[in-house]
Amino acid sequence: MNERVRKLKERLQVDKYPICVEKSLLVMESYRQTEGEPEIIRRAKATANYLDKKTIFIEDDELIVGNVASKPMGLEAGSLGPTWPEKELEELRQGGLELSAQDEMKLRAMDDYWTGKGRTLWERMGLYYDDERLWPFIQSGILLPPWEKKNEGRGHGAAGVGWGLGVGLTLIVVDYEKVLHEGLNKLVAEAEEELRNLRYTTADSIKKADFLQAVITANKAIVRLAHRFGDLAEEMASKEISLNRKKELERIAETCRWVPGNPARTFYQAMQSFWFIWMMIASGTTAGGRFDQFMYPFYKKDKEKSSITDDEALELLECLRIKIMQYNFVGGNKLQRDKWAGLARWNNFVIGGVTPDGEDATNELSYLILEAAKDCRTPHPTITVRVHEDTPQDFMLKALELGRTGIGMPAFVGDKSYIEYLVANVVPLREARDYSLGGCLDAMLAGKSRTSAIGMFLVPRVFEIALNNGFDPRTGRQLGPKTGDFENFKTFDDFMQAFKEQLAHFMSLTAEEHNILLQAQRELYPDPVHSLLMVDAIKEGKDVLDRTLPFENGSVLNPVGMINVADAMAAVRKLVFEEEKVTKEELKDALAANREGYENIRKMCLAAPKYGNGDAYVDMIARDLYQFWADTTATFYSIYGAKMKASGISITAHGPGGAITGATPDGRYAGENLADGTVSAAQGRDIHGPTALLRSAMAINQAPYQSTLLNMKFHPSALRSAEDLGKLATLIKTYFDCGGKHVQFNVVDRNTLLDAQKHPERYRDLIVRVAGYSAYFVQLTKAVQDDIISRTEYML
Amino acid sequence: MIESHNTKGLIFNVQYYSIHDGPGIRTTVFMKGCPLKCLWCQNPESQRLQREIFFELEKCTGCGICVQACSEGAIELFEGRSRTNRKKCSGTGRCAEVCPVEARKIMGRSVTAKEVFEEVARDALFYQRSGGGVTLSGGEPLAQPRFAVSVLKLCKDAGIHTTVDTCGYASWDTVQQVLSYADLVLYDFKHIDPAEHKRYTGVSNELILDNARKIYHELAIPMLARVPIIPTYNDSADNIKATTQFISSELGKNIKVHLLPYHRLGETKYERLEKMDLAVLIEPPAEEQMLALQEIVQSFGLEAVLGG
Ligand code: SF4
Ligand code: SF4
Repeated sequence: MNERVRKLKERLQVDKYPICVEKSLLVMESYRQTEGEPEIIRRAKATANYLDKKTIFIEDDELIVGNVASKPMGLEAGSLGPTWPEKELEELRQGGLELSAQDEMKLRAMDDYWTGKGRTLWERMGLYYDDERLWPFIQSGILLPPWEKKNEGRGHGAAGVGWGLGVGLTLIVVDYEKVLHEGLNKLVAEAEEELRNLRYTTADSIKKADFLQAVITANKAIVRLAHRFGDLAEEMASKEISLNRKKELERIAETCRWVPGNPARTFYQAMQSFWFIWMMIASGTTAGGRFDQFMYPFYKKDKEKSSITDDEALELLECLRIKIMQYNFVGGNKLQRDKWAGLARWNNFVIGGVTPDGEDATNELSYLILEAAKDCRTPHPTITVRVHEDTPQDFMLKALELGRTGIGMPAFVGDKSYIEYLVANVVPLREARDYSLGGCLDAMLAGKSRTSAIGMFLVPRVFEIALNNGFDPRTGRQLGPKTGDFENFKTFDDFMQAFKEQLAHFMSLTAEEHNILLQAQRELYPDPVHSLLMVDAIKEGKDVLDRTLPFENGSVLNPVGMINVADAMAAVRKLVFEEEKVTKEELKDALAANREGYENIRKMCLAAPKYGNGDAYVDMIARDLYQFWADTTATFYSIYGAKMKASGISITAHGPGGAITGATPDGRYAGENLADGTVSAAQGRDIHGPTALLRSAMAINQAPYQSTLLNMKFHPSALRSAEDLGKLATLIKTYFDCGGKHVQFNVVDRNTLLDAQKHPERYRDLIVRVAGYSAYFVQLTKAVQDDIISRTEYML
Repeated sequence: MIESHNTKGLIFNVQYYSIHDGPGIRTTVFMKGCPLKCLWCQNPESQRLQREIFFELEKCTGCGICVQACSEGAIELFEGRSRTNRKKCSGTGRCAEVCPVEARKIMGRSVTAKEVFEEVARDALFYQRSGGGVTLSGGEPLAQPRFAVSVLKLCKDAGIHTTVDTCGYASWDTVQQVLSYADLVLYDFKHIDPAEHKRYTGVSNELILDNARKIYHELAIPMLARVPIIPTYNDSADNIKATTQFISSELGKNIKVHLLPYHRLGETKYERLEKMDLAVLIEPPAEEQMLALQEIVQSFGLEAVLGG
């Protein structure tokens, strides 16, 4: 870190994040004027109103410019729905947010516009929740979080920055190359041309006119905003005393007047152009795509001309990291926030892997990106390294050196399994090789897919219900079909069959929920900014949520706690059906009593085979369950006409999910966390080290999943020498060669974490990884902290 | 020596992903029983060739269930907790089975060579890619020679690289028979001076050094030297000099020397074995001292590695 980056980084440390209301007010101002116009035009006009009037500033020392919120380190209050209710707001204030009473009043004044008119996602969805079928299911929490009111869903209120909340909960990797190489002006001109040539012969052609008009309006506004920054930089330069800074500001002025309207000509311009686009689509889940690939031509050209040094490139990469750190996101009610573990973010930059030709894609920039993360030590954006058979060992070591710092990144994903998954879904091989990641780990194609991997389905809740003949002990309702009393099952297979029947039932309800969600988003959140950066956007002439994409993974079903159920099933099979050490009645009584007075049964349950130790007895059950989930998922269709996809990420749902799940026969008490990840072991249950855990994970057929998640925690002593790291690299490659999709490491020792819980003030920059993203440990909820601590630590 | 799949042995741990016990990713089989009694032993549970109880005092509620269960009358209640008479205990493990809070664990598992081999072979995929394999450690593998040979042979036949970690204290006959199935030997040098060696480990090192020469020159098995660094016992510059001198002049200059700093992880184990009287309190060596010792080894032209 040089002096500049150090200073920029220092300014990231704030005690409270101020909430800024400017965007909400500007958007509302526009919305009130455009009532009745096509939704996408309204969005475009609101975009322009916001971008033209927003407060802008350039901070000292910045090389890449562009503020999002109106205040440094601010979060923009959500502009597409009502504010948090009083209680929630108070809690947020106790936490890390600051909102002045005056601003709160301004926000409150707008709540009326949003509520009771079907204008929010939740209200729209609630319309379809009939009392008989869907509403009891939605309330049950099988799909996390449980709703309390039909019109409040996951809770009102959100704050983040950028204009990227526009597509609701959908994840997209946009095609950055379009802007970097062609520039927005050219794309806008194309849209204008298309509009001139458009003839109104069909309903679609009329909608297309709206779309094109919206694209033109919104994207011209983006270029205007860049020019405003250019003007500001020039003005600041004229007043600047330091000659150095004056020069920098002049360069900033020149750059902002050039990009993103025009094609970037240098690495510096490409970085600035990237940032402008990022600002426009920024959300908690905005992905960086294959950053080392699409930025490389600019870097290479500069290097060839000797117009940039690696130190300068590194500085710019670090400035970008700082930029991304300057915004945050928080949304929803308490359960929802717990699910996302505080200020969660999934801004994933993907590096390495193979080129469309199948060659190794690693380049100098890939190394520099790792170096920037290691040097600057910010938790965002996160980095994922694509690994293939011929990934250079040096690169693996470099990546693991970063991991060793305890920063919780990079994650590693296996090209083999990802590419095979895409090809199996009829993606042409060359395109499949160019895959990227959305959110934590979902397989995506830049500009060619969108996914919605947010539904967290609590499998252990269904286990409880299956044990009770379809009756849900938590809500006291008959939620599922009557599949038989546990006491009457003659064989384990009969019970398993009943469980699967329940599972399929609730999965089908989830599929419906997902479709309702997708349709509500499609109607409410057209987005001319994202949409332009999709493949064939202008020719297609449709909003990104209103078209079928080349790789259609728009809806996914995502199980949480499957491993707990595998362990539970193994215990039931062994203790109840095979060895008959525990009667069915005893087991049910013990679970209902949360094992109080049944310590002996819990001990037997704990001693039963556990996933994560390479024990086929339970691994085969896990395999069977995951296969069943994938097969069943493929029987449902999304509103885009494509089969739903199976995904396996739990994010942080295992905490709040566990909180509403009763005791399970794997030895878990009621309320305790569920297993994290999807092919990780339940916390502390894998006691034979990393190879045994991987053997279990390899027993699961991961091929039909667009992501799986495996967490491993390493004590630093396992990563001391280059030789240690080399062995770890081999471990990773072996796993990926055998069908593994993902692995990530937590490198930190337990005592440090315990101490950090006691003295958070001493550990403000302690970073840990929580399922797909990194966060400051002291900012996490207690339950997530406990969870991290309890994961098996491999003392070597 | 007659080796067989069914030869029984006593082990106390199979550790997967061992990365500091030889090349590549390995599985280390810890065998029970050791002819030496190093005062600083960090694995006291490995010393006896017999099953033993590991007892976690702080978990014990004093319920007395184990007292009833013990057929040898080895357990009594004392100050609200159970206490084991280690002389009477024959290692049945009954108490561990019945203790409701898992305060008792049995150390030591009797297994056949075939069974151990099967456990080892599970990670074959990882050995292949990393150039790893199996490491027999302990305790002292040479203390159960028939079992060791049986396991090693099964592994070698399956193409798994074999390593034996030994203190070298056994008859040449035994050494020769076991190590002829080893691809690599990790050889421990605890002290170079025979009298000091006897004082700290209970036996003199003449046989050990003699075996080292023969293994290296006659059997010609690749060897790594392992020197534990135990402050105040063997950490003097003189001892390390003399040890390195021996290795470089009597063995060979191509032997890599691993200097293993003492760690305290073994401390709690004495408590668990209710052998607190045997525990010694040693401060781990400082980083600077380790570096200084490393330099000494290097000055002889040998490669020196800190840690595994
Ligand atoms: S292991 Fe057996 S003999 Fe020893 S104390 Fe326990 S029950 Fe008694
Ligand atoms: S059974 Fe366990 S808890 Fe009870 S006295 Fe024995 S060791 Fe203590």
